[in-house]
Amino acid sequence: MQRSSWLGLAFLSPALIVVLLFFMVPVVLTGFFAFTNMSTATGVKGGEYVLNASGLRALADAGLPAKTLDQIEGAGYRVDARGLEALAADFGQPIADEFGKLHTGEVFAKRRDVERALKGLRSNPIRKTRDRKAAAELFKRSMMNERFPTLPAFEAALEEAKIPEADRPLITKVAYTGWVWTAENFGFLFSLESTWQYAKNTGIYVVFTLSFNVLFGLFLAIATFYLPAGQASTFRAIWFLPRILPPVLYIVMWRWFTWDTGFISTVLSGFGVAPKNWMLDTEFHAWTTIVLINGFVGASMGMIVFSSAIRAIPSSMLYASEVDGANRLQQIWHIILPQLRWPILFITSYQTMSLLTSFEYIYLATDGGPGGATEVWALAAFHTALNNYGGNLQYGLGATYALLLVVIGLLASLAYLRLFNFRNLLIKPRIEG
Amino acid sequence: MRISIENFTKAFGTTTVIKDMSLEINSGEMLALLGPSGCGKSTTLFAICGIHRMNSGRLLFGERDVTRISSQQRNVGVVFQNYALYPHMNVFDNIAFPLKVRRDTRADIERKVKDIADLVHIGELLHRKPAELSGGQQQRVALARALVREPDILLLDEPLANLDAKLRLEMRSEIRRIQQQTGITAVLVTHDQVEAMSMCDRIAIMDQGKIMQLSSPKEMYEDPSSDFVAGFLGNPPIAFLEGVAAEGGMRLANSEVTLPVPAAINLPDHGAAVRFGIRPEFFQPDNDLKIKGRISFVETQGREELYDVTLENGSVLRSIQSQGGSFKLGDNVNWGIAGDRILAFDAAGNRL
Repeated sequence: MQRSSWLGLAFLSPALIVVLLFFMVPVVLTGFFAFTNMSTATGVKGGEYVLNASGLRALADAGLPAKTLDQIEGAGYRVDARGLEALAADFGQPIADEFGKLHTGEVFAKRRDVERALKGLRSNPIRKTRDRKAAAELFKRSMMNERFPTLPAFEAALEEAKIPEADRPLITKVAYTGWVWTAENFGFLFSLESTWQYAKNTGIYVVFTLSFNVLFGLFLAIATFYLPAGQASTFRAIWFLPRILPPVLYIVMWRWFTWDTGFISTVLSGFGVAPKNWMLDTEFHAWTTIVLINGFVGASMGMIVFSSAIRAIPSSMLYASEVDGANRLQQIWHIILPQLRWPILFITSYQTMSLLTSFEYIYLATDGGPGGATEVWALAAFHTALNNYGGNLQYGLGATYALLLVVIGLLASLAYLRLFNFRNLLIKPRIEG
Repeated sequence: MRISIENFTKAFGTTTVIKDMSLEINSGEMLALLGPSGCGKSTTLFAICGIHRMNSGRLLFGERDVTRISSQQRNVGVVFQNYALYPHMNVFDNIAFPLKVRRDTRADIERKVKDIADLVHIGELLHRKPAELSGGQQQRVALARALVREPDILLLDEPLANLDAKLRLEMRSEIRRIQQQTGITAVLVTHDQVEAMSMCDRIAIMDQGKIMQLSSPKEMYEDPSSDFVAGFLGNPPIAFLEGVAAEGGMRLANSEVTLPVPAAINLPDHGAAVRFGIRPEFFQPDNDLKIKGRISFVETQGREELYDVTLENGSVLRSIQSQGGSFKLGDNVNWGIAGDRILAFDAAGNRL
């Protein structure tokens, strides 16, 4: 490689590092998380093995034989050090010592057997039946609600409880509290009705906002092009305001505008219309607000790009079309619009990408409401993985949503690059290395 | 169609470019607006086609007052300096554009575009994009587009400025041929005097927003009304001698030499400043009004040779002679001026 190429690489390196850190690594991590069942419940580190009531129900649902379930729940009564210690604490050391001497290591199937053994204590009898019952209970050994820090420990416990070999893998799987690799997220995701709702919402969001952005941006650019310079720049500045406003402030103003004590309600109350939340009262209103909020921001960008593209058209070409007899509409249609082809394509593709992944305005305005009507895919990914009301953050499932979005985005970029005929846009370096 | 410009004034902001100009262009005539850059010739052209609105004055096409009529409705064809072809349309669509916006029928458009393309000899280029055409071809397309809807008037804004020398010669006669073939009234804006003289019936020479002289090329060359006009026309250009009116003619500045003045010229009072304009072809070795000097510059132009002769007082005369003279740089010569062809001007530059 020549020295100039290294120099180019050196100049590029800050960008490469940023791309690596903020694009490649997150994408790779997303791909990684998407194939796990990580959630708040599993944690992100390894887990333990524990069987609880809900685990037992899951096993029952999975068709585990009732006998095995019984074995898990009541694995019998074992006279061991732990039981004796508990006995000593509750009933005194002498009783524990004597009972230990007689029965250590024995396993009783039923509590009654333990009680009988307790009755057999000669020097330190427990007199009350109720006490004996309580004492027998101390030796009950069940797998329920016991934490096993490692797999061998859990397997040993299963062995000890005489659980049939065939049932063990399923029990182990249910008992594990950590995350595991799984491809089930994808199937699960598409089995959810809400997923299709998110897809539909995203479609509505992108199509309507994009149309608004491009068409309104075009309208502004062309309209201001025909205005005297002073008026034109005033209008452009006004339409640029939403973009330079801090997003939170911008949304707060929209909320004030639409709240039940806000501008619209206040004005309409003068006409006898009952105040209501105009943003969230119906799905239609929610969508209208979302499209307008995003549209006004997006349109300003289209306006700037289109305006400069129009100004790049040589004035003699516009003069020519006028002396050729074209009126304003014909001039726009035949001369200006065809020459805006590339800027329009650029804005369309660029905005498609950013709209697919953007949810900040929706998050701030409706947060997906009312009733999930404006919950778009990206917002759903965010909600699932990072921020939801239930509090069980499903990192794995959320990452699956995000990964699918990345795939869709990549496919769309490829399609647009093809449309742009990207290879033809690449120019060889003018200075030979 | 006859064009009359009456008392035309045009200002851009506070700068008045053209003040109270009147001009009459006859039907079927090709007129050149000739002048240095910034003289207002293009402004006049754009006012005729309606791109610029007149601040005051009237514009008539024939009997029709078009002063307030938009350029779309004036039925004027314009060829712009950079041709202003529509880059996204092919040649056919470019030429068809004026017809298309007029909503002619498809068959009509096809026929007319074909006819006009044949007239300007680009019949086989119709499917190409402007970017795939040479300068001369683009020029022809622009001309075809301007002519296709049979305009009353054809306006040409420096149409040859972007062509190379050879193509310029070719297109010069080509445009003239087409103009004469169609019989259209045409206005040519140019800063090139050769173009103006070779293509046009009449020339309006402009300077600083005013028409200095309006006449046929020959008349303007031989009988200029001012030293500006005399200096603008002719290549190699006319040479001027400064002096004062004296007994028996003009005494050259800083010199004892006095040039006798032909009887046709009315000299002012003695002592008043005078300029003589002498064209290179009238300063030759065998003319009778001899004047001494030294050859200070020789330029071989092939068929002819151009000499600069520095006179004793430092003034320079030019001479253009047929190839074959044996004069060299630094030779002292005693050549003569054709006395009856001297153009004399007063201090203000007006012809005497």
